[in-house]
Formats: sequence, C-alpha cells, structure tokens
Amino acid sequence: MATTLTVNGERRVSARGPMTALIDVLRDEFFLTGAKSVCREGACGACTVHVDGQPVVSCLAPIGTLEGREIRTVESLAEASEPSALQQIMEEHDVVQCGMCFPGILMVLTGFLRECPHAGRDEIKAALVGNICRCTGYERLVDAAAALARRN
Amino acid sequence: MRAPDDENLFIAGTVPDALAALASHGVGAMPFAGGTWIMRAPIRREPQAAFYVSLDRIPELSAVDIAIDRIRIGACVTHSRLAAQLAEVEPCHGLVTAAGSAANPAIRGMATVGGNLSTWDFPAADLPPALLCLDAEVELATTDGRQRLPFERFLATRRELRPGTLLTGVTIPRRPVRTAHARLPLRKAGDYPVAIVSLAILLDRNGAVEDASVAVGSVESTARRWPELERKLVGHPLDPETARVLAEAELGAFTGRDGVEAPGWYRLQVLPALMRRAVDAALRSQS
Ligand SMILES: Cc1cc2nc3c(=O)[nH]c(=O)nc-3n(C[C@H](O)[C@H](O)[C@H](O)COP(=O)(O)OP(=O)(O)OC[C@H]3O[C@@H](n4cnc5c(N)ncnc54)[C@H](O)[C@@H]3O)c2cc1C
Ligand code: FES
Ligand code: FES
Repeated sequence: MATTLTVNGERRVSARGPMTALIDVLRDEFFLTGAKSVCREGACGACTVHVDGQPVVSCLAPIGTLEGREIRTVESLAEASEPSALQQIMEEHDVVQCGMCFPGILMVLTGFLRECPHAGRDEIKAALVGNICRCTGYERLVDAAAALARRN
Repeated sequence: MRAPDDENLFIAGTVPDALAALASHGVGAMPFAGGTWIMRAPIRREPQAAFYVSLDRIPELSAVDIAIDRIRIGACVTHSRLAAQLAEVEPCHGLVTAAGSAANPAIRGMATVGGNLSTWDFPAADLPPALLCLDAEVELATTDGRQRLPFERFLATRRELRPGTLLTGVTIPRRPVRTAHARLPLRKAGDYPVAIVSLAILLDRNGAVEDASVAVGSVESTARRWPELERKLVGHPLDPETARVLAEAELGAFTGRDGVEAPGWYRLQVLPALMRRAVDAALRSQS
C-alpha cells in the first residue's frame, strides 16, 4: 500500500511499507539526505525533522502514522535559497565541523528558538540534550545560538 | 535489518476499533503508541510484532482532564504534554519533574504515558515511581470491558496481561500532598537514571509528617515503595538531612541490579542523597 506524505510542502508518495522509518524514506526514496541515520535509537538526534512543527526523531517514526501530517526537513530551512538566520549565524561562528550532527541540531534549534526566542545558554543546552556531536563542538554551537537569541 | 511487511499497521480511530483490531490479529498484534520503544527493535535484534495497532489518533486517549478531586491522563498523552498541562497543578510536582526530565526533548514529544508504563522490561522508567507515590489507578480495556487497577497491582501483573489489553488512562486522586522526583542520570541529562526517588508527603498542621509515600525506581527491575523508610518519616518534621540519614539506615530493603551503566551497589549508595534532594524539592513545592 502506498503512503502519501507531505514533505516540505510537497505531496510525495512512498511505496515502502507503513512501518518503514521516515528517515529511510526521506533518504533512500526521496533523496532528501540532510537528516542522517546514525544511532537509530532516538539518542543522537541526527535524524531530527519537524512533524507539525514539533521535533521528531525520524528513525523512530513509521511513515504509516504520518499521513496528513506536515513533515519538514533541514532542506526546507533555506527559503528561496537564502540560509535562515540560524544557518547564517552558525556559519558566522564557524560552528560546523564534520557536519554529521548538524541537520538535526538546526531542526531542534529552529523549533526551540521559535518557542523561546530569548533563550539563555542553559536553556539552549537543555534543548540540545538529545543531540550528540561527535566532533564535540558544543561550546561554539551554544555561543552561536545564544548570539542569535540576543539579537532576537 | 528485516524489511517490514506491507499492511502491518492499522490506525485506530476509537478504543473499540483498536480492541477489535488487536483481538482479530491475536497474539501477533501489539498496540503502537509513540513508537520510541517499538521502533528500536530491529537494531536491538528484538522481536517485532506481526501487526501493530496505532493509538495516536484516538481522541479519548489524548485527553488530560483536571477535576477538583482527581486528574485523568489518557494513555497517549506524551511526556511533554503531561509536563506542560500539569505544570502548575497539584499534587503533580513530582510527576511533572519525572515527565519533563526523562529522555530528551524529541523523545518526550513522542513517548506516551501508556507506552512508558507498558514497557515492563525497562527498570529505569521515570513515571512508575512517580505514579506509585500518588496512589494512581490504571484503567485497562479489553473486548470484555474496562477495569481499574491500583498502580501497585498493575506493576505486579502488567507482564501477564491478556494479549489485546489496552491501557486507556491513569487516574490520580488530588490529595494535599507535597511531591518530588529526584533522579540521577550519569550525564547531567539525556541518559537513563541509575536511581530514582519519588515521594509524596502529607504534613499535619504542625509541619510533622502525617503520611509518607516513597518509591524507588531503576534500582531493582521494577519500581517499588520503600515502606521501612516511610514508617520512620511519620511523626517527625520533614527535613532533608534527617531523611538522608534515615534512608542510609534502611538501604537493606533493596538489592541493586547490576547493569552496564552502573553496578548494583552504586545504585544503593546514591539513594540517601537522592532522598535528601527529593525532600528538599518537596519542601519547596506547593502543597
Ligand atoms: C533515547 C531514549 C531515552 C530514554 N530515556 C528515558 C528516561 O530517561 N526515562 C524514562 O522513563 N524513559 C526513557 N526512555 C523510554 C521511553 O520513555 C519509552 O520508550 C516510552 O515511554 C515508550 O512509550 P511509547 O509511547 O513510545 O511506546 P511504544 O514504543 O509505542 O510502545 C512500547 C510498548 O508499550 C506497549 N503499549 C504502548 N501503549 C500502550 C497502551 N496504551 N496499552 C497497552 N500497551 C501499550 C506497546 O505495545 C509496546 O510493547 C527513553 C527512550 C529513548 C528512545
Ligand atoms: S538516528 Fe535517530 S536519533 Fe540517532
Ligand atoms: S560536527 Fe561532527 S558530529 Fe557534530
């Protein structure tokens, strides 16, 4: 049975079974390879996308439960090819190292800063508890997010 | 990794729909709530069910009802919704801390109360000790009807529930107790807690403990109350340091489980400090 999904505003049809993890459909079928499949256990956050505006680890979300929901991936952040304010400040602060964790971190922070635009460092750290950066670039990352929150 | 079969998921719209779907697929069928436990099965080489019945579009299961004398939490309420909706509601301080500090933000937004309570093989769960102290009741539904079980009895029997049983909700009586939940993850956050102390304390007019419920999680395979310590607390003023000393003397009540993240003795060793923190938090919470 085909499953119809709304991804970054477009209707897409997946031929995979309903219990297939969203991450596999995004990457292997829709070629949206921003979200990364790393731990597949909900612990690292590299696969985070938004479902109806909320962060969801796509390794644990079967597509069969997502019909009618609005899925957004990191590819949607740069509207009209302009990086978002968050993406820009990450670049300014030279935060990205290997980049494996980064799509997930951007999705978590995009949602979080929408809800708490003036967040401080401690709140930013708490929001990122589920995002593991193997390159351990946490301090610069928090610096950049805090700088954006101060600008807001 | 095994590719899942087609047609192995049914999205139920009502509780009777879900019960009928579970019954018609027999022992191979399983409820599917937030999926945060079920979806890890392939990578952990754990068995998967042949058929899942998704509960997250059943309105009744997503409701939180706050009445004067009781609170009812639907089984599919997520940890983050629970923490947000009961934030200022008494006597939920401990329960809100449990739901709001478990796992990580994305998991809290997906994982449900019913799923947390149904994973009987997960010793480090945060909600069981918090609900044990609150004298909660669990509502179960089968095709034969519904029943309510005291929380302690549910924990003791949940492994043997008839296949096709649905947990539909949890009810908490609103008693004038002060509650708290102290947990110790190895990192500051984001890990499973190696030990948990939850409590609910009723103080009399003079500030002495009239009734005490203390529950310990993650130390043994299932959360349970600590009656030896509860008895010692009654009749005395509530004080963090005294509670720590009393807890130290009653550690013999538990046998710590060894695990990859911590040996059994360590889980016991930290209980007195967690007791002190829990009492401290309870004193600062509203009653
Ligand atoms: C990275 C990570 C960190 C975590 N950290 C913590 C933590 O610190 N503290 C903590 O407490 N937990 C933690 N957990 C566990 C998490 O809370 C559970 O995975 C979650 O509560 C399970 O709920 P779910 O809705 O996702 O269940 P599901 O995965 O959907 O289901 C789990 C089990 O419960 C059954 N089930 C679900 N709902 C019902 C129902 N209504 N009636 C009958 N059976 C049902 C299912 O059939 C299945 O057997 C963590 C999980 C992850 C992935
Ligand atoms: S791959 Fe999904 S959380 Fe790690
Ligand atoms: S930048 Fe390499 S994992 Fe985070």
